[in-house]
Amino acid sequence: MRTTGFRSMVLYILLAAFLGGLGYLLVNLFLNGGKWAMQPYNGHISGETSTVKLGDITDRDGSLLATTQDGTRLYSQDETVRRALLHTVGDPYGYISTSIQSTMSSKLSGYNIVTGLNNTFFNRLGSDIALTVDQDACAAAYNALGGKNGGVIVYNYQTGDILCKVSTPTFDPENIPEDLETNDAYKGAYLDNTLSSSFTPGSIFKIVTAAAAMERWPDSWSTITYSCSGSVELAGSDITCLHGNAHGTQDMAAALGNSCNVYFAQLANDLGAEALQAKAKEMGFNVSFDLNGISTMESTIDLAGANANQLGWAGVGQYTLLANPYHMMCLMGAIANGGEYVQPRLTQGADLLGEITGGSRQLVSSGEASQLKELLRSNVEYYYGDYLFPDGMNVCAKTGTGEVGEDKGPNCWMVGFCDSTVYPYAFAVVVEDGSGGIESAGSVVSAVLSALA
Amino acid sequence: MDTILEFLQSGVLPTVLLVLRVLVPLLAFYVVWRCYTSFKKGQRRRDPVIMLWDEASGTRFPVLYWENSIGRSKSCDIYVPDATISRDHAVLMRRDEGWFICDTGSKAGVQVNGRKVEGRKLVNIGDRVTMGSTTLTLWNTDAQPREQRRLFTGFSREAASPLKLMMVATFTLLLVAVQGLCMGGELHPEQMIPFAAVLVMGWGLYSFSLGVLHRVSFEIETVAFLLSGIGIQLLAAYDIEGITTQIAAMLLGIVVFSFLLWFMGDMDRVAKCRLWIGIGALALLALTLLIGTGSYGSKNWIHLGPISVQPSEFVKIAFIFVGTSTLDRLQTKKNIGEFLIFTGACIGLLALMPDFGMALILFATFLIIAFMRSGSVRTIALVLAGAVLAVFVVLAVKPYVLDRFMGWGHVWDHINDDLGYQQTRVLTYIASGGFFGVGLGNSYLAPVFAADSDLVFGLLCEEQGLLLGLVVLLVFVLFIFYARSDVTRSRSTFFSIAACAAAGMLLFQTALNVYGATDVLPLTGVTLPFISSGGSSMISVWGMMAFLKASDERTYAARRASRRSMREKASQPPSRTREPSTQPPANSPSRRRTGSPSYGGGGRHARKEV
Repeated sequence: MRTTGFRSMVLYILLAAFLGGLGYLLVNLFLNGGKWAMQPYNGHISGETSTVKLGDITDRDGSLLATTQDGTRLYSQDETVRRALLHTVGDPYGYISTSIQSTMSSKLSGYNIVTGLNNTFFNRLGSDIALTVDQDACAAAYNALGGKNGGVIVYNYQTGDILCKVSTPTFDPENIPEDLETNDAYKGAYLDNTLSSSFTPGSIFKIVTAAAAMERWPDSWSTITYSCSGSVELAGSDITCLHGNAHGTQDMAAALGNSCNVYFAQLANDLGAEALQAKAKEMGFNVSFDLNGISTMESTIDLAGANANQLGWAGVGQYTLLANPYHMMCLMGAIANGGEYVQPRLTQGADLLGEITGGSRQLVSSGEASQLKELLRSNVEYYYGDYLFPDGMNVCAKTGTGEVGEDKGPNCWMVGFCDSTVYPYAFAVVVEDGSGGIESAGSVVSAVLSALA
Repeated sequence: MDTILEFLQSGVLPTVLLVLRVLVPLLAFYVVWRCYTSFKKGQRRRDPVIMLWDEASGTRFPVLYWENSIGRSKSCDIYVPDATISRDHAVLMRRDEGWFICDTGSKAGVQVNGRKVEGRKLVNIGDRVTMGSTTLTLWNTDAQPREQRRLFTGFSREAASPLKLMMVATFTLLLVAVQGLCMGGELHPEQMIPFAAVLVMGWGLYSFSLGVLHRVSFEIETVAFLLSGIGIQLLAAYDIEGITTQIAAMLLGIVVFSFLLWFMGDMDRVAKCRLWIGIGALALLALTLLIGTGSYGSKNWIHLGPISVQPSEFVKIAFIFVGTSTLDRLQTKKNIGEFLIFTGACIGLLALMPDFGMALILFATFLIIAFMRSGSVRTIALVLAGAVLAVFVVLAVKPYVLDRFMGWGHVWDHINDDLGYQQTRVLTYIASGGFFGVGLGNSYLAPVFAADSDLVFGLLCEEQGLLLGLVVLLVFVLFIFYARSDVTRSRSTFFSIAACAAAGMLLFQTALNVYGATDVLPLTGVTLPFISSGGSSMISVWGMMAFLKASDERTYAARRASRRSMREKASQPPSRTREPSTQPPANSPSRRRTGSPSYGGGGRHARKEV
């Protein structure tokens, strides 16, 4: 019987597997319990007898963005604010997974694993969340977008506070359109374009190409000149400037101000695909960024196997390149801030964990940052015009028109920042199917900055 | 009456109920844990009961178990290093009538007092057993009982009385029943009926077992009573209409439990019936396949008028009967071919239904039994390889079988379709329940399909809390330890293997149910023993308890003791009491004066006297 006794140890294998499974389940329950419980279908929250009270969400000035009254969730009283902040605050069904009501649902409900959604004072407590956004700036951005689809994101590059985050298409969470699922106009309404989408960058990518040149030729980059006759032939086909304008012989500052494709296409070819790809990666392409635990969409660049023409187009932000607005804002924050960006945040208060996990990175060297700042400042000063923006903002920016082909208008971009200690704002704006960088995106930037002034 | 209603409507009630829900898992844990420690306390020590003495060499072999293999193989319980002895020469085993020696296909044969033995032969103290060139004489043991030292005594030194544990278990169930009574701020007196029924059945078994049969232990029954009670109360709150079936099933289960214990009391009877049990099981499965009905794709129910049964549940009991075996039989028939064929037939029939959950459970049990019988890793590896091959064949022929399991691991991508609907609900509502649950009758999981069977762990955790869910799981984990600690103490390898198989089967089934519902494993749709709604399942799990109970040698001790006292004839099987045998053997070997041999070093192998 001793042998039988010894062989019965085989039961311990089963037992170990069982305990392993249990451990896995419990660990997941403790880590994700809040998320699991906060499902929109959960009757304990949405049911009529629900005792769960979700806390209030307010903007940076204390204006109420969402609250619970008598078991129903109410949003801001201003319809424009409701629409503008839909993707930040959240929709009633929890479909917008990057919204505060989704990501911080367990905090809002006062949920904890010990008492669950039990009818105790914990869940009747709920906890309030104060956001860093400014509802007026968001409303201004929404209005300035004028019904176009796109994304607007602005933050304070010194403190990290996100001041404005608007994504369109959007809808009113208190008056959900019946054709939300069927109408093409609402396609993508559950996506926050600033975090979860990426767009063809167009000329704003020239900042990266310029930075690559600064790295390669630290002493002579500003004197590199190419001559532009409106187009240049590379690998058998033409690279053209917007409207076929011939810019003549230019240096870097003039080429960036004129947004000369011919200049940057040739510069990209002189740099080579490898150097450009490496610099882009250093500046945050192909890398995921993080906001409140959400991984944002990556900006992408892949120059493997690109020929001279494709590399030329890549140098001006076309080809297969894609850029994410949140990433572009971080990049602008880094340039404004001496190369390293401050991790953006959406909620106020001590968020120790977020500060640590968020992690800031050096995106450009401090030398390149100050040189880029100069270039971007001269863009506004000599080419776009300071009159576009509120006085004293000292805006540094670059526009872009990402051609998307088909029969749609380009993705119009404006990225940049205010080189000012009073208004330390970095921004990224993209407007789909727009008419031009300054016309479509520049006006949005102007409206937001005016609201923030 | 008005004051009661007023109380129920008041805001105090939720707090009172919450306090009850905090108490229930604590009390349940106390019962479950103390049952186990009391069980351990009540066990016989590992002291030799008799011994074999080799006069020629002066070696003493302590006889430690109820069944002892004798041979030249080192794995034998009594290892005799004699080249003329076969590897597994004979088995010395204890039965009601006394000690038997049984030749297990040795070359040289076995002689008792000079006469060759055919089959088994009763041996008495002083008898000389000759195997090859070795002659062993049977003696009462002269070893002092060893001091047992256990590092961890389970928080208490004394065994709790069965009565006390039953009282606490009853009180625990009362607390659950009171929650049912006050469900939803209204008085539900009908919720006390299942409680009363469970009480009558539990205490009925208690009085029958301890009062009539004079058994000394009641731990396993207490735990089974507690779990059945919790399950029935949970289901009563879920659907009071259907609870009669569950209560009737518990009653039948207790009857089956008692019957099986009686049935296994005589191992010859079991040996005779074994073939018929096997044939019956296969016939039952075949019948199910022929006339069975069922919804959702599997035909695993037989409807007999108003009653519907799931025959595969009973096949589980038969399966263990066919699989397990006494040591003498294990030694003579070494291969597991017969059992393998039986398993193949069972699983094949189940796969045709198709009832994959049950097929998996039987397969896992088969692996446990096969390993315990043969000890051959190679056999197990071969069987596993065969099974993998069979799975691939099935998948090649019926690839759509896999579709059901496609949601596994990413159910959150399938919140609103079949692949993840049930699992996400379970996870959400387990999380909603927290440690102490939201209270009986407050479930939002209840309307989800199979909430009372496949997903019942979710229902339990949502209403009664994660802690009680964990206590329930602890029961099945401890069953493994019950079985393991009985494995060399039971009356035969028949019981050892049966208990291990039953414990393993229950734990595996629990794993399939709990982890299937929570997306740790694919959802297969098996019941959670004791808790899930389903009469056949309830009966069968009580049947499983009989295997665990039978492997505890104390189960049959009382009966035998009373029979012996009637006969007034202690035919020299060693005393079962813990006191060392003070009475010296009549004709004690002369060398004994030279000093007692020491068995201190573990007592497994004999030591030569110096």
